[in-house]
Amino acid sequence: MAAAPFRIVIVGGGTAGWMCAAGLVRLLALTDYDLTLIESDAIGTVGVGEATLPHIKNFNDMLGIDEAQFLRDTRGTFKLGIEFVGWDRPGEAYVHPFGTFGEPWASVDFQHHWARAMLAGEAVGSLQEYSFAVAAAKAGAFELPNEDPKSIRSTYAYAYHFDATLYAHFLRGWATARGVKRIEGQVIDITRDPASGHVSTLRLESGAEIGGDLFVDCSGFRALLVGGTMGVGWHDWSEWLPCDRALAVPCASAAELTPFTRSTARRGGWQWRIPLQHRIGNGHVFSSAFCSEQEASDTLLANLDGPALGEPRLLRFQAGRRARAWEGNVVAIGLSSGFLEPLESTSIFLIQAAVVDLANLMPARGGGVDARLAAEFNRLFEVHCDRTRDFLVLHYAANRRHGEPLWDHVRNMTLPDSLAHKIALFRESAAAPDYKLGLFSRDSWLAVLEGQGVLPRSYNRLAERIPMAELVEKLAELRDYIRLNAVAMGSHAEFIAGYCDAGASGAGAMVAA
Amino acid sequence: MMRVVVAGRDAPLWLAASTIARALAPASVTVEAIELPPAMGPGDAYATLPPLEALHAQLRVDEDALLRLTQGAFTLGQNFADASGEVPAFLHPYGSFGAPIDGHDFFAYWLKARLHGLNVPLEDFSLTAAAARHGRLMLPDDDSERYGRCDYGYHLPALAYARVLKGIAAHHGVTVQAAETVTAERDADGRATALLLDGGRRVEGDLFVDATGPEALLIGGGRESWRSFFPADRVFSASGARFAAIPAYAEVRASAGGWTALYPSPTGRHVVHAWSSALTSDEDALGEAAAAFGVPLAAGVVRSSEPGRRPLAWEGNIVAIGEAACGFDPFHGVDLHAVQLGLINLLACFPASADYGAQRDEYNRVMQSSFERVRDFQSAHYALARWRGPFWDTARAAEVPAEVAQRIDLFRARGEIAPFEEESFAPDSWRTLFVGHGLVPESWLPAIDRTAPDEMKAQFRRMLGFVREQVLKAPTHDQVLATIAQRHG
Repeated sequence: MAAAPFRIVIVGGGTAGWMCAAGLVRLLALTDYDLTLIESDAIGTVGVGEATLPHIKNFNDMLGIDEAQFLRDTRGTFKLGIEFVGWDRPGEAYVHPFGTFGEPWASVDFQHHWARAMLAGEAVGSLQEYSFAVAAAKAGAFELPNEDPKSIRSTYAYAYHFDATLYAHFLRGWATARGVKRIEGQVIDITRDPASGHVSTLRLESGAEIGGDLFVDCSGFRALLVGGTMGVGWHDWSEWLPCDRALAVPCASAAELTPFTRSTARRGGWQWRIPLQHRIGNGHVFSSAFCSEQEASDTLLANLDGPALGEPRLLRFQAGRRARAWEGNVVAIGLSSGFLEPLESTSIFLIQAAVVDLANLMPARGGGVDARLAAEFNRLFEVHCDRTRDFLVLHYAANRRHGEPLWDHVRNMTLPDSLAHKIALFRESAAAPDYKLGLFSRDSWLAVLEGQGVLPRSYNRLAERIPMAELVEKLAELRDYIRLNAVAMGSHAEFIAGYCDAGASGAGAMVAA
Repeated sequence: MMRVVVAGRDAPLWLAASTIARALAPASVTVEAIELPPAMGPGDAYATLPPLEALHAQLRVDEDALLRLTQGAFTLGQNFADASGEVPAFLHPYGSFGAPIDGHDFFAYWLKARLHGLNVPLEDFSLTAAAARHGRLMLPDDDSERYGRCDYGYHLPALAYARVLKGIAAHHGVTVQAAETVTAERDADGRATALLLDGGRRVEGDLFVDATGPEALLIGGGRESWRSFFPADRVFSASGARFAAIPAYAEVRASAGGWTALYPSPTGRHVVHAWSSALTSDEDALGEAAAAFGVPLAAGVVRSSEPGRRPLAWEGNIVAIGEAACGFDPFHGVDLHAVQLGLINLLACFPASADYGAQRDEYNRVMQSSFERVRDFQSAHYALARWRGPFWDTARAAEVPAEVAQRIDLFRARGEIAPFEEESFAPDSWRTLFVGHGLVPESWLPAIDRTAPDEMKAQFRRMLGFVREQVLKAPTHDQVLATIAQRHG
């Protein structure tokens, strides 16, 4: 073990950079790896990824972060799902919950039973009524899930809304306290080894030269290393996801603290609403081909809960991903590797998955960069991005907002084969995608399929093992049970007041095990 | 009302008919079985994989009765040995290795310890493997569940097993016609309308299941050949005298011209020998098979092996199950597992209405990758084998599917198993195969380096002690079989 530690240099200190630094310092032994992060205060971070998926809790738990303290410090709130307003057609809404719909009966997935009763003309309502997470979200309620798997209150998970800039700030404190070296400065020159083509050193404005064995590109949309230096190609997905701009603006909080993100369809795109303890994050994602900046800004500002806290900030992007996230000795994580609009809060999950994969596939000390490990990283990266893409495209493709040019366009576009097949299969038989790798789960697909007005024509015949009268009764009981339990739950605001009120302590230092 | 007609022979016919009838009779699905003469003989046995137990449970097959009526046996895995004794043997157990440490898989720790000079083989950390080596039978209980997975398969004499399943099928309401010949009658669109049997009989149906074996008598059509991955094209099966004490695992011995598998059961030892006709004549091969185990063999049959997959397992209204859809190399006895994969997926994709194009596409998509993942496990075995002789030289030189090359690369570099959808074999099975064939990873999961070496050693000692203790408590295979024989006796 005489070899020098393997030098990892992370370029960029936004959410991706500091999640990467924190994840790697937790998963790697610092006797073998040397971790440096370069960031510049002169370069702003995007930091709009304020809504997350439940997986973030695993990441924080892995780091050993105390949840209540973390929520106080990031002004965080709880999230039981996303409410989609007007996505199918104006005036309608549904929730994509972080939880299950019903439970399997007679070894048959729940939606087949529901579809069977619905198709028989029974008044069984929407699938939404069979999700405890949906009921709790609508009631504005929140409590931590029950650990007893028999309880209806165990059938959901939760994520957070938080201030992503504060989260990055926290992780910076956490990671630097554990041995990550932070260098303030701007990269102005990049040197590559002529023989291997690998990046060898970065020169900073100060004249400092930073050498490394592996460089993680967390430079955001600029994609300094993966795009600029390595020239890795880009798969453009704007054919399916035509939105290419976003205006973001925070506003003052309203009275009710909702335990969910809201996404409202607009003529030229959609608007997000993310409630934090001290403010609400808002933004309007739109397609410049169908909507002017002025129109987007007017729409956004006309639809805020409280007074805007600043001028709307414009972001430009294109949906897509890098052909490869790991090229040579450069690994792109975060926006440098790909962009998918924040419709399903996937960006922080994609960072998290890449960080864990990178830790598992990190070259060994004393060894060089290994193309075999990079190939596996890229394979998993593709699976994650491509599956997420299909799920997002579904929200657009299945809409009935007739007469609005953007929505007419996306309703009539040719879908990726993988998605067209999933929709056809659900229509034909109520079967929903169920795969092991990557996002999203079967319940998520069900929520959005039904929510977007895609209804099954039939169901798995195995469901007929339960007599119809008994089925209708079971469905009614489950609906009532969910409703009663949701009503009995305390409010989200009360829970936060008792658990993690930022007002009580202010932003303290994050305490971690 | 929907009429399903299953035509086929041997165990696959009855598994198919009874699985569909059992699941779908309440949905007004009727099942008629067309029973063709058996292709299996008295020398044949099925070596089954652990998932079959769950299918049996669905069919309400009682395990004790099954073993008593078939004179079958348990099996804890397969031992791969070199007939010349040159290359060390390894056992693929149907159970897991070790217990996690600090939330990480045991294997990475073992790998690290081994690269630092640890001399304890992987199988010593498996309850299942250790039991098999000590002539014991390890069936899962609360203690073993806390440690790891302890699964098992069976060795089932083929004709007796088919008889038991035929009884099960009748119990679930399957009606039966025996036939010598069968063909599908098709309409102008190519959809099957009925099956035509000898004696001018005609059996109408809505959906037809082809379990007729490699001839694919109903569905017909060509196949994508997997010949380039697999060297063996001839297979001999026969049976010999039973062992005095019945081992609880299968023994597979590699010789210069091929390999010989031995599946013990109370009725005897069932032998399968595979070779390449390009390298060895049938006569020489049979001599090699007899020499491999040194006992007289009876009821011998030579068959050809043509691995390959029909591009669409389900076409029109005919679903091909088992060998009618995909033929596998004889390595590791995966045939019944392939049948089971097809049936479980058929229930998931069973026509919900008269219009089932998307469900058929889904079935074909899932079956393609399910079959290919099983093929990958077999292909890796041939590609990595270190045994000497012309057969193995051919095996090593054979092509490997791209997914296998990826898996081998990742394992060599990091000791990790790349995850795939529709995978039949657990990561520990892949690890056994790779380690057993001498693949030595160059590094391990970096995250485990945060566990103190003393903690790792203490955990290893604790695991080895637990395995030893459990194995000593376990009964012998013969004791368990005797108890079963007497239980209803």
